[in-house]
Amino acid sequence: MEFRAGCVVRYLIVSSFVASGYGVTFSSLHKTVVLSASSPKGHGSLSLSLSLSLSLSLSLSLSLSLSLSLTHTHTHLLGVSACSPNLAVLTAGEDELTITWAFNETFPAGIDSSYKTIKVKLCYAPVSQKNRPWRKTVDELNKDKTCQHKIVERPYTPSNNSFTWRIERDVPSASFFVRAYALDSQQVQVAYGQNTDATKVTDLFHVEAITGRHVSIDVASICFSAFSIVSLVGFFYMEKRKAKVVQDK
Amino acid sequence: MPDQIEGSPGTSMHGVTGREPVLAFSVASPMVPTDTTAKFDLPVDSEHKAKVFKLFSLANPHMRTFHLSWLSFFTTFVSTFAAAPLVPIIRDNINLTKSDIGNAGVASVSGSIFSRLVMGAVCDMLGPRYGCAFLIMLSAPTVFCMALVEDASGYIAVRFMIGFSLATFVSCQYWMSTMFNGKIIGLVNGTAAGWGNMGGGATQLLMPVLFEIIKKAGATPFTAWRIAFFIPGWMNVIMGILVLTLGQDLPDGNLGALQKKGDVAKDKFSKVLWYAVTNYRTWIFVLLYGYSMGVELSIDNVIAEYFYDRFDLKLHLAGIVAATFGMANILARPFGGWTSDFMAKRFGMRGRLWNLWLLQTAGGIFCVCLGLVNSLPLAITFMILFSIGAQAACGATFGIIPFISRRSLGIISGMTGAGGNFGSGLTQLVFFANASFSTAKGLSYMGIMIICCTLPVSLVHFPQWGSMFFPASNDQVKGSEENYYVSEWTEEEKQKGMHQGSIKFAENSRSERGGRVASFPSPPNSTPNHV
Repeated sequence: MEFRAGCVVRYLIVSSFVASGYGVTFSSLHKTVVLSASSPKGHGSLSLSLSLSLSLSLSLSLSLSLSLSLTHTHTHLLGVSACSPNLAVLTAGEDELTITWAFNETFPAGIDSSYKTIKVKLCYAPVSQKNRPWRKTVDELNKDKTCQHKIVERPYTPSNNSFTWRIERDVPSASFFVRAYALDSQQVQVAYGQNTDATKVTDLFHVEAITGRHVSIDVASICFSAFSIVSLVGFFYMEKRKAKVVQDK
Repeated sequence: MPDQIEGSPGTSMHGVTGREPVLAFSVASPMVPTDTTAKFDLPVDSEHKAKVFKLFSLANPHMRTFHLSWLSFFTTFVSTFAAAPLVPIIRDNINLTKSDIGNAGVASVSGSIFSRLVMGAVCDMLGPRYGCAFLIMLSAPTVFCMALVEDASGYIAVRFMIGFSLATFVSCQYWMSTMFNGKIIGLVNGTAAGWGNMGGGATQLLMPVLFEIIKKAGATPFTAWRIAFFIPGWMNVIMGILVLTLGQDLPDGNLGALQKKGDVAKDKFSKVLWYAVTNYRTWIFVLLYGYSMGVELSIDNVIAEYFYDRFDLKLHLAGIVAATFGMANILARPFGGWTSDFMAKRFGMRGRLWNLWLLQTAGGIFCVCLGLVNSLPLAITFMILFSIGAQAACGATFGIIPFISRRSLGIISGMTGAGGNFGSGLTQLVFFANASFSTAKGLSYMGIMIICCTLPVSLVHFPQWGSMFFPASNDQVKGSEENYYVSEWTEEEKQKGMHQGSIKFAENSRSERGGRVASFPSPPNSTPNHV
C-alpha cells in the first residue's frame, strides 16, 4: 500500500453515491474518530491513552482516491507519546483492553450527522499479515481482511464512549491495533479511527492466544492410542497362539 | 507353475477402472467353471474366488471382504485429509503461515509414496487382513496426536505420519484379488478404489460439522477442532477391529494356506522390477497419474480453504462445496473406465489413449477456469467439471495400465500409484506453498501444468495396436500381441514355460485392436483368463 505523506485530497460530498451500494474503499474514508486503546497490563506508553484526535470530515472522495492509498492526514497525530513499539503481551481470555473513542472536535461540526453506528474491531498489524494472505489488506472494504474480530458495536455518540473488552479466546497470537468504523444508516462505512498511525507500526499490542489444549484431551488421546496398539498386538498374539494350539493338536 | 503365478494374490492388481471389456458383474460358467462342491453364498471358481459381484450383499467372505476393504481405505482418506477443511481454524490456533500449510499438504501425501511400495511385501508376509489392520490401527495414534499439536513443525510431522495410512490402497486391491475372480476383478477394484477416494470428499463435510457440534456443546474453537479429530481416530480403530474380527485372508479363511502358496515358484522380484523400469510407457503413466490422481489429492487439501477465503463462505459451507469434489468419485472414476472400454470397442487401444488424453486435458482446462473466475456459482461449476475430468482420467489410466506389461503388472500399478502421490506433493509444493502467488493463481497454473503433462500420452506406442497418431505395425511378427508380451521373458524362462500366462493374456488382449478384431483368427481352444 502506498501512503501519501501529508495532505489530503479534495473531497466531494457524494452521499448518494455512497448509498448506491458502491464498494466503499478504505482510502475514501476520513479519519474523524479519535480512538485510544489501553490495557492495565504493560508498560508506560500503552497506559497513556493515545488520544489521537481524528478528524471527522464528511468528504468521501470517490472519484479519485480509488487508488490504494490511505489518505488520512496525520494532523491528529498529536502526542503520540508512544515511545517504543514494544507493547505488552496480552493473554487471550484473561486480559482486558479499554477502548475509548470520540468525535474529533477539530473537524467541523455537523459532519457526523450521518453517523449512526460505531463498530470497533481488532485488526492485524502488517507484521502479522506477512505470509498470510487470508489477512490481507485491500482497499475495497468488502474484500478487506485486515479487521476480522469484532469488539463492540454501538449507536454513535460524539463523546464519552468507552468499552472494556476481555480478549476473546478465539483471538490468535498476533500483533494488533484497534480500529473503529463509523457506519451510516445503510450500514456503509463513512469514517474511521484507529489507535495507530498510517503505517500501522506504532502502538500495537500483542496477543498470546490460548493453546486450546487441555490435560483431559491429552490424557484421552494417549489412552485411545494405547488402546489401539494394545488391541492390535493382543489380537495378533492371540491368533498366533490359537494357530499354534491347532497345529500342535 | 504358470497358473499359480497368475493366480497368486497380488498379481491381479489390474483394472482399477470401473469396468472391464466384458460386462463384468459376473462370469458365466462355461468360461470359468463353478466349483459346485464349495458352500458359499456366491458362485465361486476353482480357487473359491467369487464369480459374481453382488454389491449390496454382506455375504461372507467375499462381499464382506469387499465392504471391509473399501471402508478401511475410505477411513484412511478421511483421516489423511481431515485437517484440510479445518485449516482456517488451525492456522489461527497454531500460527501457521502459507508455507507451513502448503508444506503440511505436501507431507500428508508424501509418506504414502513409500508405504505403498512396502505394503505389497507386508501383504505377502502377513496377508492383506493383517496388512490392513496393522496399518490403520497403528495410524490411529497419529490421528489422536493431532489434538496435541502446538506449532507448525508438529502439525507438519503429524500430517506426514497420518499420510502413511494411504497405503491401505494396496491392501485393499490385494485383498480383492484373493476373493474375486480375475474376470470381474476390474470392476471390483475400480469400485473399491473410487469409493475409497470418496473419503477425501466425505471428510470435508464431516469435519466442519463435527467442529460446529462440538463448539455448540461449549468448547472454544481452538479446543473444538482438536476434539473433532478423535472421530477419525476412532474410525480407524473401529475399522481395524472389524477387519480383524470379521475379515479373513482367503475364501477358505486360511492364512497358513496363503503362506504355503507363497512358497510356490514366484517370479523373481528383480526381473519383474527390471521389466517395469525399462518400459518407457511405465514412466509416462507415472507422470500422467501424477496429474490426474495427484491433482485430485492436492485439491482435497486446498479447496475448502480456497472457498472459505476467496468467496467468504462459512466453514461448513466451504466444506460442503469442497466435498462435492471428492464425492464425485463415486461415479466419475467408474465413468472414466467405462468410456475407456467404450472407445476400445470401436477403436481399440488408440481409442483408450485418445479417451485418456481428452478427459485429462478437459480436466486441466476446467482447472484453469476454476482459478480465474470470481463468482461462486461459476467456481463451483468449473470445480465439478474439473473433478469429473480428473477422476475419470484416473479411471481411464487404469484401463490402459494392465496392457503395458503382463509380467510386471503389480509393480507398474504400484509405481503409478506412487507417481500419483509424488505428483500431488510436487504440485502442492510448487503451486500452493508459495506466498508469492495466490491460491487462485496456483489453481490456474496447475491447470496449465496438467495440460502440458498430459501431452506425453501421445508418445505411448504399442507396436500391435498403435498410438494416438500412428497406426499399428504391419509387420506380422512385431505387430502381434504375443510378441510384445512374450518379449518380457528370456529363452530359459520360456523353456520353463513361465511365459504361458503371457501368451494367454496376449490372446485375450486382441480386443484392443478395436474394430479389426473379427478379422484376426483366434487360436482354437484358447481359454480366456485374466483380462
